[in-house]
Amino acid sequence: MTPNSRVWPVVLLLSIISAPLLLMYIYLFVDTLTITTPGSLIPHAFTLKNWHFLWATLPGRPNIWRVALNTLIFASASSAIVLSVSSTAGYVLSRLNVPFRGFFLAGVMVLHAFPSVTLIVAIFLVLQMVGLYNSLAGVILVKAALDMPLGIWIMKGFYDTVPWEIEMAGIQDGASRFTVWRRLVLPQVRPALLALGLFAFLSGWSEYILPQVLSPGNQVQVLSVYLAGLIADDNNFDMALFKSVGVFYVIPVAMLFLFFQKHLMNIYGGGTKG
Amino acid sequence: MISSRTFGFFLMTPAVIIIVMLFLLPVVLTGVFAFTNMSTSTGISGGAWQISPATLQELRDRYAMPELAKRLAEPEYVIDELGLAALSKAGMGADIVADLRQRHLGETFATRRDAERAIRDISHRPSTAELKQISEQFNHSIAGARFESKAALFAGLASIGMRLTEAEQAAVAGATYTGWNWTGENFRRMVSIPSTSLSLLNTIIYVACTLTIFNIGFAMVLAITTFYMPERAAGFFRGLWLLPRISPPVLYVLLWKWLAWDTGFLSVFLAPFGIAQRNWLLDSSVNAWIFVVLINGFVGASMGMLIFSSALQAIPKLLLYASEVDGANRRQQIWHIILPQLRWPILFVTCYQTLSLLTSFDLILLSTNGGPGSATEVWALATYHTALNNYAGNLEYGYGAAMALVLVAIGIVLSPVYLRLFNYRVLVSRPLIEQ
Repeated sequence: MTPNSRVWPVVLLLSIISAPLLLMYIYLFVDTLTITTPGSLIPHAFTLKNWHFLWATLPGRPNIWRVALNTLIFASASSAIVLSVSSTAGYVLSRLNVPFRGFFLAGVMVLHAFPSVTLIVAIFLVLQMVGLYNSLAGVILVKAALDMPLGIWIMKGFYDTVPWEIEMAGIQDGASRFTVWRRLVLPQVRPALLALGLFAFLSGWSEYILPQVLSPGNQVQVLSVYLAGLIADDNNFDMALFKSVGVFYVIPVAMLFLFFQKHLMNIYGGGTKG
Repeated sequence: MISSRTFGFFLMTPAVIIIVMLFLLPVVLTGVFAFTNMSTSTGISGGAWQISPATLQELRDRYAMPELAKRLAEPEYVIDELGLAALSKAGMGADIVADLRQRHLGETFATRRDAERAIRDISHRPSTAELKQISEQFNHSIAGARFESKAALFAGLASIGMRLTEAEQAAVAGATYTGWNWTGENFRRMVSIPSTSLSLLNTIIYVACTLTIFNIGFAMVLAITTFYMPERAAGFFRGLWLLPRISPPVLYVLLWKWLAWDTGFLSVFLAPFGIAQRNWLLDSSVNAWIFVVLINGFVGASMGMLIFSSALQAIPKLLLYASEVDGANRRQQIWHIILPQLRWPILFVTCYQTLSLLTSFDLILLSTNGGPGSATEVWALATYHTALNNYAGNLEYGYGAAMALVLVAIGIVLSPVYLRLFNYRVLVSRPLIEQ
């Protein structure tokens, strides 16, 4: 940007540091479609056999399409819950003078910062007691609840940017608060809804610990648990297969990022967990 | 028309219910479970009262009542109407039953042998098999019996003619109960066993190294270097370093495993230099630690990078140009202009990442799983291994909850710091429309 030093040494330095990262991602895709002799780094033939898990169910594992469907249900259902509940609660906290409003706001912020994964032991026991253990419904609810403080927080932030004049005008014209929210305010925050919905979906799609602990059964398995189970099985070590399942698993994430990069960066840039 | 208060109440309710049930309740319950001895063997619902060899052992050792244990262990044979009725129901001839009633009703024997010897004299002259069948019906031994309630247990004891003092009753009830109990033992155990200090030390190493080297240090390097780069190069590097964050953890760790395993990239790459092939991830605890910090650090660096970068964008360009006109070199520029700008973001990232590193364990679980040995077993992972998943299969929910409670407490203490970091006053300013 400014001319008081040359750029290329910095670029070179960063390239060297970044090389392992770049290599890992390049080889992720290369290894799924090629054969490499052990002890070599250059692939020598093209193959599709690593993808056989798509049409032949692996022994002792659930069908991959079943697992993919579970993952889709898990991610979209928890995303839908987060979206619908946060879009209403966020509006209340942004605009309405409910009792204990300050308390709620502080609570949401503290919960947002609170490391929710520490609750996994208690949640595991609660789900066992109420009989939701090993069910998709249970893990969906838990995932949605844990993502909710972030969702409410983000929606509140977006509602705050909507000008008051819009609502003032609506109220003046005799619309109820509900109509004002539904017809006037909600359309204003559509980008936020899209961003939060995508974020919650991706967060559900990537989630590993919750499904692993709360719904590990074959019937309700999701892709992260399926892949982790494959990798953990010492008897069938096949790195190319793992990578192929991994690519299959990550395709939707990559697609969503390619198409909605701008929307998503709104949230990732704002500081989320990790 | 409903008031905005009622309206707000309706819109808030779902969020409040879900957060209370699945967020606040687990916080409280972690504290509750921490004071129990729940485990796989006690179950999580209530238990039953069962007299087993373990019960007798406990009566002898813990309650110092060997006499009582002996009495409970002794089988007892009583010839009574109940047994006779059961006998005729089992298909024994009516004459035998009548004979037994006439000769032996009300007699009590200490052992099966005594009972069978006495019964043998009935006029029918039963065979050994028949004898066994008969004596079985009069067996009043209580060993192995299972009762659904305390009252049933005492009734059962009374039915075999055991009269217990109150102290004995309490002892038997305590020793036979299979469910979980309230206890403060978890915390005593936590401060006494050596693995606690090991995982504490591991956690400190893990958080300190990852935070300083990557989440702050390397994130700053990324932010500052890309700040000085042409737009295209900067975009490429920022995008590349964002990949670890957006990749699902299971896949991300798989990439590192490929890098580190026996015939993986690192081994093959280093083979020509005469370095033996090995699983770099688990071959020594130093290497394991390097990888744990790298794996977590590569993910953590991106958050700092994004936040620092946006803070740098806020520096007025004029300031930078002016400094150059005044002859400042790149190092002086970074030291006097850029770093002061990053003071608040660094504080924010430090607070945020400390908490999230303290409690996150998914990447370590997936990569080293705490190994080799327990070298990389951090507190959160140890909690997971105690309560939710381990090789032995005996999951100690109560002790795990006690370990989790430590983290929950740290979270409760540290997370309100955010109220200070964000501008809380502005957030709670009063709404403009009221009805």
